[in-house]
Amino acid sequence: MAILTVGLLAVGTTRDKGPMTQGDRIDAITKRIACPTCDGESVYVSRASAAENIRKQVAREVAAGTKTDTEIIGTIADSFNAQILLVPRATGLDSLVWVLPIAVLVCAVAGLAVAFRKWRRQNTAGATSDDIDLVNKLLAADVGVDPTDDENV
Amino acid sequence: MSDTPSSEVVVARKRPFAPYIAGAVGVVLLAFLALLAFANPGGTDSAESPLLGKPAPEVKSTLIDGGNFDLARRKGSWVVLNFFNSTCVPCRQEHPLLVKFAKEQQGSDDPVELYTVVNDDSDAAVKAYFDTNGGDWGKVRDDDGAISVAFGVAKVPESWVIDPDGYVRMRVIGALSEGFLTARLDELKRQYSGQS
Amino acid sequence: MLFASGIGGPLGRASLLVGLIAAVFGMFAAISGTRHNDAKVLRLLPRFAFLACAGAVGAFAFMETALINRDFSLAYVQKVGSWSTPALFNFTAIWSALEGSILLWVLILTLLTVSIVVKYRNKLNDPMVGWAMATMFFVTIFFYLLTLGPANPFGAGKPGVLDGPGPNPLLQNHILVVFHPPILYLGYVGMTVPFAFAMGALITGRVGEGWLVETRRWALISWGFLTLGIILGSWWSYEVLGWSGVWAWDPVENASFIPWLTATAYIHSVLVQERRGMLRVWNLSLLVSTFSLTILGTFLTRSGVLNSVHAFSDSNIGPYLLTFFAIIVVVSVSLIGWRGDKLRAPGIIDSPLSREGAFLANNVIFSVFAFIVLLGTVFPLIVEALQNRQLVVGEPFFDKLAVPTGLVLLFLMCIAPVLPWRKASGELLSQRLFWPAWAGIAALAFSVVLGATGFEALLTFTLGGFAGGAAMRQLVLATRRQGWRGLVGRANGGMVVHIGVILIAVALAASNSYTHSQELSLKKGVVASYGGHTFELLGFRQTSDARRSEIAALVSIDGGQAYTPAVSKFKSMGSNIGTPSVKSSFAYDLYLTLEPPVKVSSDAAKIKVFIKPMVMWLWIGGGLMGIGTLLSAFPGRRRRPTDPTSARVPEAVEA
Repeated sequence: MAILTVGLLAVGTTRDKGPMTQGDRIDAITKRIACPTCDGESVYVSRASAAENIRKQVAREVAAGTKTDTEIIGTIADSFNAQILLVPRATGLDSLVWVLPIAVLVCAVAGLAVAFRKWRRQNTAGATSDDIDLVNKLLAADVGVDPTDDENV
Repeated sequence: MSDTPSSEVVVARKRPFAPYIAGAVGVVLLAFLALLAFANPGGTDSAESPLLGKPAPEVKSTLIDGGNFDLARRKGSWVVLNFFNSTCVPCRQEHPLLVKFAKEQQGSDDPVELYTVVNDDSDAAVKAYFDTNGGDWGKVRDDDGAISVAFGVAKVPESWVIDPDGYVRMRVIGALSEGFLTARLDELKRQYSGQS
Repeated sequence: MLFASGIGGPLGRASLLVGLIAAVFGMFAAISGTRHNDAKVLRLLPRFAFLACAGAVGAFAFMETALINRDFSLAYVQKVGSWSTPALFNFTAIWSALEGSILLWVLILTLLTVSIVVKYRNKLNDPMVGWAMATMFFVTIFFYLLTLGPANPFGAGKPGVLDGPGPNPLLQNHILVVFHPPILYLGYVGMTVPFAFAMGALITGRVGEGWLVETRRWALISWGFLTLGIILGSWWSYEVLGWSGVWAWDPVENASFIPWLTATAYIHSVLVQERRGMLRVWNLSLLVSTFSLTILGTFLTRSGVLNSVHAFSDSNIGPYLLTFFAIIVVVSVSLIGWRGDKLRAPGIIDSPLSREGAFLANNVIFSVFAFIVLLGTVFPLIVEALQNRQLVVGEPFFDKLAVPTGLVLLFLMCIAPVLPWRKASGELLSQRLFWPAWAGIAALAFSVVLGATGFEALLTFTLGGFAGGAAMRQLVLATRRQGWRGLVGRANGGMVVHIGVILIAVALAASNSYTHSQELSLKKGVVASYGGHTFELLGFRQTSDARRSEIAALVSIDGGQAYTPAVSKFKSMGSNIGTPSVKSSFAYDLYLTLEPPVKVSSDAAKIKVFIKPMVMWLWIGGGLMGIGTLLSAFPGRRRRPTDPTSARVPEAVEA
């Protein structure tokens, strides 16, 4: 089962994604640039005229075909500011936006682990065999109930 | 409905820790609140640009009244580019100041060339606006937005000052105020005239 | 004409004042009646609740009347009213700006207060209900104060105004504007009720498990509305905004999504409390977070600290909302600190590999998810405050973190539904997961055969199939045993919701990974083709009225019916609004937009074509989530006390 899954995933992941049209490339680039007049939206999303202009500029660069995606974004960031880049940098204060979520996740998982360990230690007083017999006897007397039926919450 | 233990069970044997956790959470939240309370609403427009002090981007286009425009050919005199749209309210507000500015410049010995750059607007609307509100300087077409993007203009109006050597010297975001452009230009001229 | 022009303002304000006074009296009656156990005072509560509600209904009606009569003596009507707005959008103009939205908020809040008081009319002397009512009235008072202060909808406008601009053009373009805001608000404001009961529990220091079930149902229904509201919002964005997407991680979207995440965590973990009596304090904290996040979200989007496309209005409402948020946070955190230990339950969770273990994992992931979205939303503020520098946190950030988070959640959806309570053994799991796992592999094989690529998308399809199999397994077993009743109740209805979520996840993965787009320059009489379809420009249709002028390109797809992507210019606003045109099918949508500049005379048009796979399944999934919520709100089969709560563990003593 696992082999089949991995095999299929490998086939799907590695094969050729097919040709990327110019439109696709423009979309991919404009998704990485922030619209300068509307906080938080990408040029791809925004219909503001500033975004429209940047989209056209990207389209021209893509049509010219001489620059890479990063170079195109770079030239636009040269005219505007670095704040036009949508992905926060991973240095300085900005890196907090990446680090904090991971820190919170690690803390939460660690907290859970501690809780489970504590619960494990408390769980020493189990049911005695007498208790189990008692429960089973009662359940057996209760006609029509399958003791293993736990499909209903 | 419920087979869970009674809710009134009080857990006495456990160490109390709710106050500590609540305290910690409270401190974090209060810091967050302070941050929000002192956050600057809206943010301020800065007149900074990576282009300041650098050669102006290439601007080649046509004029609405006919003819070509090439910023590189304007070397030798100071140029003001005003990014404009006839539907934008602040642009309309600053327009009388520009008309006044243009008149002043015509009389001066080192006249500044003023151009309006028009993006996302129709020729007819721009012409009609200038006919009724005055202004006889050149109106540069920027239909494909190339000039706006090259200068990093996000929102009209914006005014840019380019020195006689073609270097970007000033950017003003938003509507101009009375006398501002003349005063700043004089300063800039004093500052940079020796270098050329 | 019902009222002469000009009288609407004073009447509306009077109405709001009546409501405010009723709410103030209601709060004091609830507090003093509960503290002194005075049944006579408590019996007055329904009256105050009804009166507070009447005030809101009256104010809403006066505002609608003013809008319908185009009473331009009111500042609000000057802002959003216009003679040229059609009746329907004129009606919905009431919630197109801040003041009216707050009015809608008050209306829903007071209606909820009335429904609580009616539902629990025989239990008003229960301190829990008393404190919950006091909380409801307290929140109501705050929002009434907003309508009388910074968000006054009945403020007098400038004299001499005879016409206005009408609502934002984006809000008069699509029928969904009628449904999306009220439904979203029902969910958003609805979260006040579980919060009020959480406050009741904290103040009285007891958690009656019966109350818990009631609160769960309120929370569940509010959650359902919130879900529907968010999905309708995405649909609106897809149909109106013209970028062919459904979600942009815009601050306003995030403001509704963050409480949704914590509420989702709650409706899962509350089952642990119901079943095992555990996690009480945690559940209360989730309810408190959900409510305070609705207030925080409103602050972030309405105060102007963050700008966004949705922030249709700025006002000085910010400090009020922030103060209210601070009060809520301080009060609830102190209450939790004070009462937390008393409420804690003695139980333990035996094994991570159990239903309750899975719910805990679910809660961790949902909380982290909520934290991520909140952090991304407020991070620009943090950077600006600390370094006085502007920064944008946008879609790529959220996508990068949300996709793995979503995949983990999807994985939990595969395993959790088959896990028994308390403890699972390896054999039990492999036996129960057998068919669902094969469903996952089948989904993977199917998508590979269809030509799907990309690791993330393929993993989504696999896990989607797996999780779908797990959900179907539960439903099949339940319906086989109980007939149609196997579809209702929290576990079974929940599985219907899961299937809806899976459809949405799969549709999002497909449409995000495999969207292609191309700009086509169409000329009349020349057939262009793209993506296996042909496009032909038949001509233009120009319409113009007092409100707007519209140019629509008539584009025939595959020689069939003409689709009409359009650009409209709203005269009062001067801005161009594009209207996309969508040809939908179960497999993919063809999404057409008309790109500026449009020159009718030239017989040519630039059309952008997006091919977006599986978008239809987003809406189907959303519908299923709504239906599933309804199904799980109905009481399922009652468990008999002797029914076992978990599978028998063969080795019961395993220390």
